Amino acid sequence: MNRLPQIPLTIISGFLGSGKTSLLNHLLTQSGLENAPSEKSGRRITAMVNDFGALNIDAELIAAKHGNQIALANGCVCCSIGDDLMRSFMDVMQQSPLPDHIVIEASGVAEPRRIAGFASVDPQLRLDGIVTLVDASAHNVHSKDPYLADNYAKQIEAAHLLLISKPDLADTATLENLESELAAQKPDVPMAHVTHGVLPIDLVLGLNGDHKIPQPQEIIEHGFVQWAGHLTDIPRAALIAKLENLRPHVLRAKGVLRDAEGAYVLHLAGGLITTAPYAGKASGHFVIIGQPQMPDAAALEKIFRQNEAA
Amino acid sequence: MNPHLPHATHIAVRDGHILGVGTVDDIDGWQNAWGPLELNADFADKTLLPGFIEGHSHMMEGMFWDYHYVGYYDREGPDGTVWPGLKSIDEVVAKLKEIQAARKDIDTPLIAWGFDPIYFTDRRMNAADLDSVATDCSVIVLHASLHILNANNFVMEAADVKGADNSEFIRRDESGQATGEFLGQLGYYMAMRTTGINLLAIASSPETLVNFANVARQTGVTTATDLVNPMPAGSEQAMREAVDADDFPMRLVVAFQGNSMEPAEGVARMQELQTSNSDKLRFSLVKMVADGSIQGFSARLKWPHYYNGAPNGLWYIEPERLGDYLKAFTEAGIQVHVHTNGDECTEVALDKIEEALRAHPWPDHRHTLQHCQMATRSDFKRMKSLGVGVNLFSNHLYYWGDAHINITMGPERAARLDDAGGALAEGVPLAIHSDAPVTALAPLFTAWCAVNRLSSGGVTLGNGTQNISVEEALYAITMGAAYSLKMENEIGSLEAGKRADIAILADDPIDVGAEGLKDISVIGTMVGGHVHLNQGRAR
Repeated sequence: MNRLPQIPLTIISGFLGSGKTSLLNHLLTQSGLENAPSEKSGRRITAMVNDFGALNIDAELIAAKHGNQIALANGCVCCSIGDDLMRSFMDVMQQSPLPDHIVIEASGVAEPRRIAGFASVDPQLRLDGIVTLVDASAHNVHSKDPYLADNYAKQIEAAHLLLISKPDLADTATLENLESELAAQKPDVPMAHVTHGVLPIDLVLGLNGDHKIPQPQEIIEHGFVQWAGHLTDIPRAALIAKLENLRPHVLRAKGVLRDAEGAYVLHLAGGLITTAPYAGKASGHFVIIGQPQMPDAAALEKIFRQNEAA
Repeated sequence: MNPHLPHATHIAVRDGHILGVGTVDDIDGWQNAWGPLELNADFADKTLLPGFIEGHSHMMEGMFWDYHYVGYYDREGPDGTVWPGLKSIDEVVAKLKEIQAARKDIDTPLIAWGFDPIYFTDRRMNAADLDSVATDCSVIVLHASLHILNANNFVMEAADVKGADNSEFIRRDESGQATGEFLGQLGYYMAMRTTGINLLAIASSPETLVNFANVARQTGVTTATDLVNPMPAGSEQAMREAVDADDFPMRLVVAFQGNSMEPAEGVARMQELQTSNSDKLRFSLVKMVADGSIQGFSARLKWPHYYNGAPNGLWYIEPERLGDYLKAFTEAGIQVHVHTNGDECTEVALDKIEEALRAHPWPDHRHTLQHCQMATRSDFKRMKSLGVGVNLFSNHLYYWGDAHINITMGPERAARLDDAGGALAEGVPLAIHSDAPVTALAPLFTAWCAVNRLSSGGVTLGNGTQNISVEEALYAITMGAAYSLKMENEIGSLEAGKRADIAILADDPIDVGAEGLKDISVIGTMVGGHVHLNQGRAR
């Protein structure tokens, strides 16, 4: 079979009210603006949504609206009505020309892994990433919901990028608890705050979700760079010093490491670097996410390996 | 189904309605007012029942007759051709070879449907079977359950199954070799993308409608539902033209897909649709789907969840959103049917209905839970209190009863699967259904399932308290379903003033009894005074 170019698929997941539609509105608007700051502006996006209700697309972008499709200057939005994703995929994959990128705004109760399954069986699709929005102001309610807690956990579990929405509506302690909870659950997954859906669109649309283990260096574009490596024994004080030196360009870091005192877990979150004893076996896994000004992979490799115990 | 006159010898029909029922003498007097009545003795040795009402089916059933039927039982196509039942995999393959040899466009995909492996326990169909039909075009056999399909190697190569290692949608043998079975939604998607055929294109063409009506008609159905249709703007006109035609042999009730738009827009669209109602076509209710299916492990179950330990299923809509829709439709006086399979989902649906009713009290809302397969006696008590009806998926007892006992629910909970006896005992208005094309559309078969509770593996589900009598089952497929559709004043029984909708049967179901209910031959139907006879012998 001829291998056709693959279309990246991004799934936006998160509970009702977590800001999925705001994010989608922002992505569609930014990708449609000719003078958008993103160098990838103008890519044609097909968005699949549950309903048009809350969409608020700039009128200038709307070329035509008919039935369950809104044609945009730079793509289209189609309403995938409820559970009928298969039909929507059949329709979208028969579009001509095919879109540059497909974005699905999943319903608040969807299991994003199941949606991602379409990319695993369709040779013309490539899963670019699952973005899960977590509502900082409602996390304590959602995570304990008697009917939905399992769904909530699955959405977080499936994420390749976690976006904490409405950070301004949560107090500092709540926010920090949430961040450390998420970091504990998904140590390899980058996290960022988002308010009203506004963030560099390449952070979402350029995300690479194909890998299971982070690549040594992955440029997530436009403001975020991730570096991951396996470190053997490294004294925690030395590691903290290195991270301090990288400020302010390192945004967060996590490692499950060991030194002479035993296994420990290191977090850099909310500007604070913390370490704590770790009960399990240290994996040596270390990951940092930062801005492009952060030293490159080779330099980071050198910096972090320097004090490793041989 | 008329308690004042359960049995009669004669029925008189005028202007599409029943003029009178009774003895020839009872009827005689009507001639003074209505002029001479002509005696038709064609069906003198037959049994007339109120036309059957299928309260949960899908128009998609009509699409399959574009493909080739390879089911186990004889089935009459909408054009009157009888497709003989195929009693072994070899017979299915031989039939497909015959079809392929007669086809003109032999390069196009060959698609067959209705294959039911329940009946073939010695082995499963594989890719080699279908390779013997054709190797240079797609050959696809859809299972009756619509959860599995078989394909030949042409499809497997195009779909590149060798590279895929996901056992969720490709069945493999012990050596890891793909067998040709594609499983579940993703399996269907893969096969459809490969062949370029969209098996799920919205079924609304007039041909599909006519096919659907003819399939239903052959089983004695005079009113059927298309129980979820997004009804895109303007689609009602074509539907109205097709259904209102005199030779269209059925009434159709369409349930609007509630979540296809925002609640307020949905209310407005329903009100608009209702202006297109006619004698034969009704837009009277809204359908909401709240969870998935039990056999697909996508239904929402209460603790202790699935018997085999599978993770709990899926919500198809946020409970909060379900509540928003129920409130909006309840406020507007629009009846809602909610699909719930798992017991957790049933509980949430009842919570949301209760909230809607507290906000907008409505004594005769008749909101109905569809499938509602795991409802307990407590759930039925609560439904009774809230005025909620139920339409149970009785065909499941036969098709998936064994799987529910052994895999999904375990023996204790499977005993009360689709507990029609419990619903009636608690006073809940009851209908029973096929969910065609998921299972065979044939109300007498559905009645047989509810009466006997026998699985395809030969196991009886429950201890007898869940069974209903033949009379109760006949009521469920006539008046019970009519009540669930708020049409009990028009159809569902044979009495003066009601619509002349009749099922003509070769034998009296009461005489035949529980065991033979499903095997009674349907001679034809009358719909609004028009007689439609079966050409061949339908099941």
